[in-house]
Amino acid sequence: MSADMFHLGWFGSFIPTTWTTGWDGTDAARWMDGKFYVDKVRTLERACFDFILFEDSSMVSDVYGGSSEATLKRGGWAPKGDPVALAPILARATERIGISVTMSTSFYPPWMLARSVATLDHMSRGRIGWNIVTSSEDLAAKNFGMDALPPHDERYARADEFVDLVTQLWDSWDADALVMDRERGVYVDHTKVRPIDFVGKYYKSRGPLNTLRPPQGRPVLTQAGGSPAGRQFASRYADMVMALPKGVPAMKEYRDDIRMRVAAEGRDPDRTKVMFVVSPILGETHQHALDRKAAKDEAVRQHPEGQLIGWSGSMEIDFSRFDLDKPLPDDVQTNGHQSTLANFRKWANGRTLREACVAYRTESMELIGTPDEVAAQMDEAMQEVGGDGFLIWNQPHNRRYIGEIADGLVPALQKRGLMRTGYGHEHFRDNLLEF
Amino acid sequence: MLHLGWFLSFQVQSWNQMWSGEGGREWNKPQLYIDAARSLERAGFDYMMFEDGSFVPDSYGGNHDWWLKAARSVPKQDPLPLIPILGEHTKNIGFFATVTTSFHPPFMAARSAATIDHLTDGRFGLNLVTSHNHRTAQNFGHDALFDHDERYRMADEWIDLVRKLWDSWDADAVVLDEERGMFADGSKVHPVDFEGEFYRSRGPLNTTRPPQGRPALCQAGGSNAGRAFGAKNVDTIIAQVNGVEDMKAYRDEVSEHMIAAGRDPKECKVLFIVTPVLGETDAEAQDRAERGRLAMAGAVESNLASLSYATGEDFAKYDLDAPFPDIETNATQSSLALFKKLAAGKTLREFVTSDTRKSVDLVGTPDTVAGQMDEIMQEVGGDGFLISGSLHRRYVSEIADGLGAALRRRGLARDGYAGSTLRENLLEF
Repeated sequence: MSADMFHLGWFGSFIPTTWTTGWDGTDAARWMDGKFYVDKVRTLERACFDFILFEDSSMVSDVYGGSSEATLKRGGWAPKGDPVALAPILARATERIGISVTMSTSFYPPWMLARSVATLDHMSRGRIGWNIVTSSEDLAAKNFGMDALPPHDERYARADEFVDLVTQLWDSWDADALVMDRERGVYVDHTKVRPIDFVGKYYKSRGPLNTLRPPQGRPVLTQAGGSPAGRQFASRYADMVMALPKGVPAMKEYRDDIRMRVAAEGRDPDRTKVMFVVSPILGETHQHALDRKAAKDEAVRQHPEGQLIGWSGSMEIDFSRFDLDKPLPDDVQTNGHQSTLANFRKWANGRTLREACVAYRTESMELIGTPDEVAAQMDEAMQEVGGDGFLIWNQPHNRRYIGEIADGLVPALQKRGLMRTGYGHEHFRDNLLEF
Repeated sequence: MLHLGWFLSFQVQSWNQMWSGEGGREWNKPQLYIDAARSLERAGFDYMMFEDGSFVPDSYGGNHDWWLKAARSVPKQDPLPLIPILGEHTKNIGFFATVTTSFHPPFMAARSAATIDHLTDGRFGLNLVTSHNHRTAQNFGHDALFDHDERYRMADEWIDLVRKLWDSWDADAVVLDEERGMFADGSKVHPVDFEGEFYRSRGPLNTTRPPQGRPALCQAGGSNAGRAFGAKNVDTIIAQVNGVEDMKAYRDEVSEHMIAAGRDPKECKVLFIVTPVLGETDAEAQDRAERGRLAMAGAVESNLASLSYATGEDFAKYDLDAPFPDIETNATQSSLALFKKLAAGKTLREFVTSDTRKSVDLVGTPDTVAGQMDEIMQEVGGDGFLISGSLHRRYVSEIADGLGAALRRRGLARDGYAGSTLRENLLEF
């Protein structure tokens, strides 16, 4: 017996590739011309990935060590290109794969976001997703002229209204508004386009949108909240929830919770896919894979700075202040990703920061072995959890790793009947809901 | 040598005319624009300029019906996502996309423009507008548009901030030193700590310095505030001025403003909007122009709607046989001033049925028109023309392969690009 067919996506950012691994080519100097990403998305389409998802942020973190020096030295949080500008090139280079880009409800004017996403959906012929974030870094808020972000739960209240407004703007054109009657000289039937006169607590917009209804009607909505407010938000809107619970039992619990919440919102739980972030470590033999993992861990033990910078940015806590060989002090607070800090404490469970860096996994579960072994591990996990697939998080971020996944792991999954060998539909959402 | 550009929107270009092809269906996909960009690059054009707007017009007749029916100015898509694709399919031609300083958050615009400048290898620019109607403001959650001069004060501050964000990374900040494990040098990336009357931003930008340093800037405002803004900030101005005399006065005035702002007048190229009518013989071109004039004269509704678009005033409610109405506007002030001037002594009907919305008439064989352009530019003193016309493949080819070739034979259009960025090409001659 094996699990039902599941979905694969790729999770990453528009950032430099690795540049000190020995397998970096010349991409780190040229990454912003987009060509690396074009090759990447073509590779992923060849491997029948449902989609590629770009997270994003709008700041140069200077939390770690109180300056941006360490961040920039390593090229972690910044530089980061705007994925909204990259998406059209990726769409043009492909036919079927979905492309989801992060845009923040805290910084975008809703009208601008609705129009930009509608435009992208037309240009990609129905393959665009909006990855909804509320942003969590005050530093980003300062770039947009605010002193700080609204508190966590208010951000979600705003996001609720924001998504409602944006959806109404997309709906302000009926699907049959375009008539294109050459004889009568009628391009659009004006009775099928309406102002929305939206007046909310946080946002106002008159409408209608000034472009045609997006091909998908509503472009795919993806989301990643782990807090209760985040989960509730996801259950109302998301077509795909990106999840980071640690370990198979927690994955199952998370998915069951989301499905319950989705059903309570009156939606069909099968129409919200829960996908778990993983970074498989592949080897030519089982031992080779274990060696690669050990080498990776040892590199972090020697140079934990990269991980600490990441935490500093996401939790807005300066980790350079703490003794590496002691645990995180108890009195540390944040207005950032609350669930991240809470989960961190629970998980760290007395580990020293150095060992925490080594042991820390962004990903939901460890996958180590030959491609066939990892395929079997994914099979087992999905049998236990119930679905709906995985998001590969690029570690390391270079062509060699992408090739290992696309040309090693994916064929092993396909051989087991766990992954699609072609796309059934033209639109992103239709492929996501195919099984 | 002349600079050439093409003016358009990401909207329905031509859909029910003789040479529309599949324009009604393909306007919102990239291919039509890719084909145009490649043709114009072949002809040595400096840039394509995408205007934009964020509203469904309803100024004419008090509702949006006419606009949707005619596909006039709506639907219109966001041009920013189109530019990276055009960049992928070309090597030298530049692209301007319009953003509104009144509503686009400055950090977002700075980052988006920096990213697109990277994706196009330095061939991107922003065309700055302040938006000109209440509907746009209402879509963005305001009750009404800010006052005309306040919009320009906002724009001044907006571009000041955006430039500081672009400058927040030194040109040598990215070092890629594998030995020291240093990607970028933190001492070469600076917060901007901008505190203005309208905008605040801490910075630095979270992406590397754009290839052009600062992406190119374009502007079209004709009002006093608009012209002062342009003279201070932009690399190219697009102008709709009627007649050679006024064109010369306009270019001279831009130069004066620039000198006053401490800039060399050569740093900003003024391109005048024209719609050449080409034929295999001069007579055939005159016939086409005449047919165009007749069609224009017959399209009273369309012409009234255009007036409504520019002024925000409902021209459906005025008596066609009375003189042009005496109105004021908070919208495009220079356009209204021009209309009033051109309509002097005419009834509204006489005005809207006359063909007055171009800088100059250019009619003839490609060679004839090239000669006319030469003469006009000798008179005006620079810097070139911005073609505005139906973006269907036949017209693009007439311009690129007919007129473009004729200009090149006369040494008036470039034969290949000397620079690699949009600004370098604008400054080439």
